Amino acid sequence: MNQSKGPWLKNSGFVAVVVVLALVFIRLGFWQLDRANELRELQKPYVEKPIVALSDVAAPSENLRDSAINRVVEFSGQYVAQFDAPGQVDNKNRVQSWLVGLLEVNGGGAILVVRGTQAEELPKGEVFVKGRLMVRQFEDRAPKSEDQLSRLDPSLLVATYNLPVYDGYVVAKSEVLNGKPLNLKRAQVDPVKPKVPGYYWQHISYVVIWWLMALVVVFLPFYSRQREKKAKGSFN
Amino acid sequence: MNGVIKRFRIMAFAAGIMSLLLWFVELPVVYLLDNPELASKVKWIPFVHGYVYAFYVLAAIHFTAKARFTIKRMILFILAGTLPIASFVAERRVMKEFPLK
Repeated sequence: MNQSKGPWLKNSGFVAVVVVLALVFIRLGFWQLDRANELRELQKPYVEKPIVALSDVAAPSENLRDSAINRVVEFSGQYVAQFDAPGQVDNKNRVQSWLVGLLEVNGGGAILVVRGTQAEELPKGEVFVKGRLMVRQFEDRAPKSEDQLSRLDPSLLVATYNLPVYDGYVVAKSEVLNGKPLNLKRAQVDPVKPKVPGYYWQHISYVVIWWLMALVVVFLPFYSRQREKKAKGSFN
Repeated sequence: MNGVIKRFRIMAFAAGIMSLLLWFVELPVVYLLDNPELASKVKWIPFVHGYVYAFYVLAAIHFTAKARFTIKRMILFILAGTLPIASFVAERRVMKEFPLK
């Protein structure tokens, strides 16, 4: 009884390894196929979605969701601080210093708002803001000081201001103070396009390779058996 | 057998050259140099390498099966196409073992 269990167990283990490997390769193929499709999607022009309340797409102290990036949001609150953010690049590749405010949002939390490209006084009172939500910056563009931000990243302010901050920042399209629009020269930015490394046909070629590998894995046991049979045949 | 060996040799050379270009031209240009213009000029390398490698795998399987190599050797021949010089080494070994008549 034990003798017959040995080869069965060995074979089932072998089959399991082959199946797992084939499934892994198939999955890798689908992964590359997804990336190829993502690249194709990115090449399509950006379609603007309806304006939403900031609290509907984001929350303080949480990472910005992919679906929230680039959304035009509206919210209101009071500015608590203002900074310069040098070395910022607009959609025409002009390097500018941006005026950035930290706004305490009604309902809780604070968010960085790019107000414009020229110096302006910090508005006092409740401001209603409409603007595009962007991903926080990771690389410094200038030295950090008390009134200057090295990059647009709310985490730089966490230690100074005792407020839960929203991830990312908003590039304001308009600000309304006490029912009157504030006329500032706004920073012009395009929606960010997430970067998927590589090229469409490159990913498709990797799909071909991974699925070919899955076929090879399935083929190898048959090849091995056939080889053994031939070897036995020539020996007899 | 000669035809199979010739096909393998051609694909081993092609895969070797494409691997060299990928490792020593495309990857450094894309990841070490900040030059989008140059990067766009070498973008053909990774996907040509991808398709060449797929054909190399087929040629390697065909050859190693015909030569009745062990599974281990077959796998090594398949993997040789992923490294810059390994496919040239594999091709040299084949020519030693199976000199063309």
